[in-house]
Amino acid sequence: MSALGRILLVEDDPNDVELTLTALEDYNLANEVVVARDGAEALDYLYCREKFAARSGDNPAVLLLDLKLPKIDGLEVLQQIKSDDKLNMIPVVVLTSSREEKDMVASYRLGVNAYVVKPVDFHEFVNAIKELGIFWAVINEPPPGSLKKT
Amino acid sequence: MIGAAPRKSLYSKPLSSVQGYGLAVLSVSTALAGALLLERLPMRGVEIPFFLFALAISAWYGGGKAAALALLLSTVGFDYFFTEPLHTLAISPSDLPYFFVFALFASLVTWFSVVRRRVEAELRLARDRLQTEVTERTQQASLLNLTHDTIFVRDMDGVITYWNRGAQELYGWTAAEVIGQSADQLFHTAFPEPIEGIRTKLLNSGRWDGELEKTKSDGTRVVVASRWSLRRDDQQRPTAILETNNDITQRKLRESEIRVLNEELGKRTAELESINKELEAFAYSISHDLRAPLRHMAGYTELLRKNSASVLDEKSGRYVAVIMESATRMGNLIDDLLAFSRIGRSEWHKTTVSLDQLVQEALMEAGQAANQRNIAWKIGALPSCYGDRSMLRLVLINLISNAVKFTGTRDPAEIEIGYLNQEQHELVVFVRDNGVGFDMKYVNKLFGVFQRLHPAEAFEGTGIGLATVQRIVHRHGGRVWAEGLVDRGATFYFSLPQSEGI
Repeated sequence: MSALGRILLVEDDPNDVELTLTALEDYNLANEVVVARDGAEALDYLYCREKFAARSGDNPAVLLLDLKLPKIDGLEVLQQIKSDDKLNMIPVVVLTSSREEKDMVASYRLGVNAYVVKPVDFHEFVNAIKELGIFWAVINEPPPGSLKKT
Repeated sequence: MIGAAPRKSLYSKPLSSVQGYGLAVLSVSTALAGALLLERLPMRGVEIPFFLFALAISAWYGGGKAAALALLLSTVGFDYFFTEPLHTLAISPSDLPYFFVFALFASLVTWFSVVRRRVEAELRLARDRLQTEVTERTQQASLLNLTHDTIFVRDMDGVITYWNRGAQELYGWTAAEVIGQSADQLFHTAFPEPIEGIRTKLLNSGRWDGELEKTKSDGTRVVVASRWSLRRDDQQRPTAILETNNDITQRKLRESEIRVLNEELGKRTAELESINKELEAFAYSISHDLRAPLRHMAGYTELLRKNSASVLDEKSGRYVAVIMESATRMGNLIDDLLAFSRIGRSEWHKTTVSLDQLVQEALMEAGQAANQRNIAWKIGALPSCYGDRSMLRLVLINLISNAVKFTGTRDPAEIEIGYLNQEQHELVVFVRDNGVGFDMKYVNKLFGVFQRLHPAEAFEGTGIGLATVQRIVHRHGGRVWAEGLVDRGATFYFSLPQSEGI
């Protein structure tokens, strides 16, 4: 693994956060994960404001986005990112419990890069997270301006 | 003229012109001969009344032309035989006034007779016509009495002038009771629009029809479909209104019942729609809220197993495994239920679908489980049909997966896919296997949600597959059914309506 992109995980459920981080840790992908607990925090991170005001301005290599979030929900975050010239190149992967067609359609309409339904089975879940992490944080060449650790 | 009864009359048929001339000659000759004969008796001075009588007879029975001939003959005869000089056509100056008086009288009598005769003839003709008309009218009136339809006539003041038997049957009054009565006072009619408007329409077009409510003789109200026709005289003045009525009280009653039922139905539909919406919201929340804790259970149990593998005894290890399996099964169950509920909610895109291609796709998906098995596939050519592609694909996947699953104990398993084409208006597709089959006693339970005919240990599954199949096929307007024998295989059929152009 030559480089590791930073992953922004937007997830309000602490259990899901822990399980996701555990899955990523298993494959040494957890080092560069930033967790935002709701949509507002995710946007704060992306716009370097509030508690993220001091961070360096690079974009994450990928954003793992839950749809059902407090304050600002996932679809609104997605819309904000894809309609902002500075952010719309960030790959966004929706990672959700919802298999609802209308959520999928809405996400793709807004320009999501991938849509993943969290598997119930833990092995499948770990596999999905691992593959997502490897693909987006390692294999995929992120757009210029993203932070990538060499 | 139809119905004109032949009547013996003082005024017999007019004679033909030849007969008329003959009569003139005969009557004048007879008068002349009589006068000459009586002159010999001697009775003088009878020639004038005789000739006048002959003229009257000729004019009366022979008509104008015969009268003219008789006038000519009698004038000549009078001149020749009765004016000086006798037996010549010359007239002596002394007899000239006498001759002129005769000629004048003869002309007057003739003229009166002819005029009288003509007037009589015209009168007779008018009377005959009248008689014919009366006969016709009487017959028509009796015909109107034969019909069961209610027919009555009232004049422009609303006074009833005709009332048929149908009217008596509907309203209860006899003709004798109502003729001469005011229709308004009798019926207390409720009009659907102002009466002035109805009258204007009637006068303009000669017709009006609509629904009226009237009172019968027993005081009850009746709803009738009423048609009015205006009758006019020769000068186009309105004289009477003919009204026909049909009793539609029962029909109106049924209509209002149907309306009430429809309203109720509408209310129920609205209720069902709102319940359906609630169910949708429920399904959505299951999708989100139930899956998350389930995933956590599975995830943390797995972590527990991994971290505590060394300290867990064999029994505890099995418990952990059961928890994980159960969580996974419940996840599948929720997924299947959500898919099932989506059938009713999602939008459908109906197109012409190649069943051949669909079967190939379904085999790719459902046949994976059969890769290690010895299965003899028998797949016939299938026609195209009309429906929602992804839904029909789900039908085939479910049926084929079932066939694969329930032939698990067969070697070789045989699975046949084909169609029957005995019906013109529908296409019947079947999936047949030589698997464990089922008891036809339970055939009604096959397609219910969560209905399983086999223990879970023997054949895993959620019990939703066939319910999904049924729901999709029903939404296409088709049917599903199955035939089976325990241990002798099963055949599942579904039908799709054949739409035009395919």
